[in-house]
Amino acid sequence: MQSNSIVTAYAPPFKIVAKYFIAAIIDFVILNFLLMLNYKDITGFYFQPKILAITHLLTLGWISMTIFGAMFQLVPVVLETKLFSEKLADIQFWVFLLGVIGLVTGFWNFDTGLHLNASAILLNIAVLIFAINMIGTFIHVKKWNVTGWYLIAALIYLIITAIAGFLLSYNLWHPYITINHLQYLKLHAEVAVIGWVTMVVMGVAYKLIPMFTLSHGYSMKSSKWAFWLINIGLVGINTFFHFKNNVIEILVSTLFIAAGIAFFLFQVYLIYKNRLRKKRDIGIKYSVFSFYMLGIVTLFGLIFSFTDLSGISNIYLIFGYLVFYGYLSMLIVGQMYKIVPFLAWYHKYSSKVGLEPVPMLKDMFNEKYALISYYLMTTAIITTTASFIFNSQIALLFSFGLMFLGSLIFTFNIVTILRK
Amino acid sequence: MISEEKVLELLKGVIDPEIGLDIVSLGLVYNIEIKEDSIDVTMTLTTPGCPMHATITEWVKNILWQEEPDKSINVNLVWAPRWTPELMTDEAKKELGF
Repeated sequence: MQSNSIVTAYAPPFKIVAKYFIAAIIDFVILNFLLMLNYKDITGFYFQPKILAITHLLTLGWISMTIFGAMFQLVPVVLETKLFSEKLADIQFWVFLLGVIGLVTGFWNFDTGLHLNASAILLNIAVLIFAINMIGTFIHVKKWNVTGWYLIAALIYLIITAIAGFLLSYNLWHPYITINHLQYLKLHAEVAVIGWVTMVVMGVAYKLIPMFTLSHGYSMKSSKWAFWLINIGLVGINTFFHFKNNVIEILVSTLFIAAGIAFFLFQVYLIYKNRLRKKRDIGIKYSVFSFYMLGIVTLFGLIFSFTDLSGISNIYLIFGYLVFYGYLSMLIVGQMYKIVPFLAWYHKYSSKVGLEPVPMLKDMFNEKYALISYYLMTTAIITTTASFIFNSQIALLFSFGLMFLGSLIFTFNIVTILRK
Repeated sequence: MISEEKVLELLKGVIDPEIGLDIVSLGLVYNIEIKEDSIDVTMTLTTPGCPMHATITEWVKNILWQEEPDKSINVNLVWAPRWTPELMTDEAKKELGF
């Protein structure tokens, strides 16, 4: 059955993936708690110690940690080959974790010397280990598909992101960048979010959405358009950000990327329209919300690059928050609600089917609680945005509180699944 | 000898954990042949190229072996005719919101 296909003989042991996912979820809760605790400092321009620290806790500890775990599971299954090395996946976990803790504390105390730089090097080593593991896996692939191409591109952008990150942290220690630190920071951020994270999201979505919704008989043409448009745009970004006078070139690159995302969203729409499962479960609800958000932030980003919006208070924070929470975190939570119950179920009960009664997937967690966390989180996203716009600290504290509560319920559900 | 109804009843224990429906309600079981020393099940899956073939056929075998340990159980996976949602039972269609 198609929906079973996130696990095959190629899949790595559950404990590797589980380790990455558990670390990511713990990180998500800490992250939300820190936001709540430090709500007074989350305001104004983004280049501030605490905001940089929290952003990296989010992008590395939560988003990238999840992606690593998901890729160890999905790459072998989707590309029908074994993971090159489980040992490397394990070593990478610890190096990466240490790097995240180092980098986040380094930013928090704005200790931009050895502390921050050593952490950035650790993260680069973790990325290198990951790259070796992925390349070692990729070279054994016999049948390539669209998802595979997206994942290769994502890996390249991850490497660029990590190197750019280290160069930026070195510049804070011994300044050498002659153009502008913030311009390179933009390059780092855009390649990270669009190149690394979104490329994975897209590649994986083409596989998982049809699987989860039982969708058949749609054209995949748009996925190819999306791939080329975004990559052309990203090559542009990676080239023109090294120059001073780059306004037109960056605008054109941004247009390519936005067009590519539009093609991706159209592809998702086609898959979704052809689905046999009309009922929307919790995972799909989260994902639909996330894809709407992706559309909104893409439009937002476009307007942002054509007009000066700096008059609106906290504009950078609003944009970042909608990208990282509205689009990415909601997608991760939604997909985890689909993947974790299945992996846990498969791990424990697959060999018992037919021999003894086994639970259904929907019995693995409390869907009602999941729905409550969905409403808490999505409300939090709307109220946080409003709090930023109206510069209300009390409303911001309340909104971060809602998200924290939502993340606790989500964690409770995941723990329930893992203990089942 | 075991009846076809009984086999179908047993196969209802093979459930797609994600969809939450069994292979019989999904209309994936095309034919059952009960012989002296074997049970042959002809079935399909919702999508060709599903990498889970081995696991699902294993589940089918497990369940039938439990009941008929002396017979050999053969699972014949076919792609023609192709599975369509119309093959589902009314309950299954309702469950999927079809």
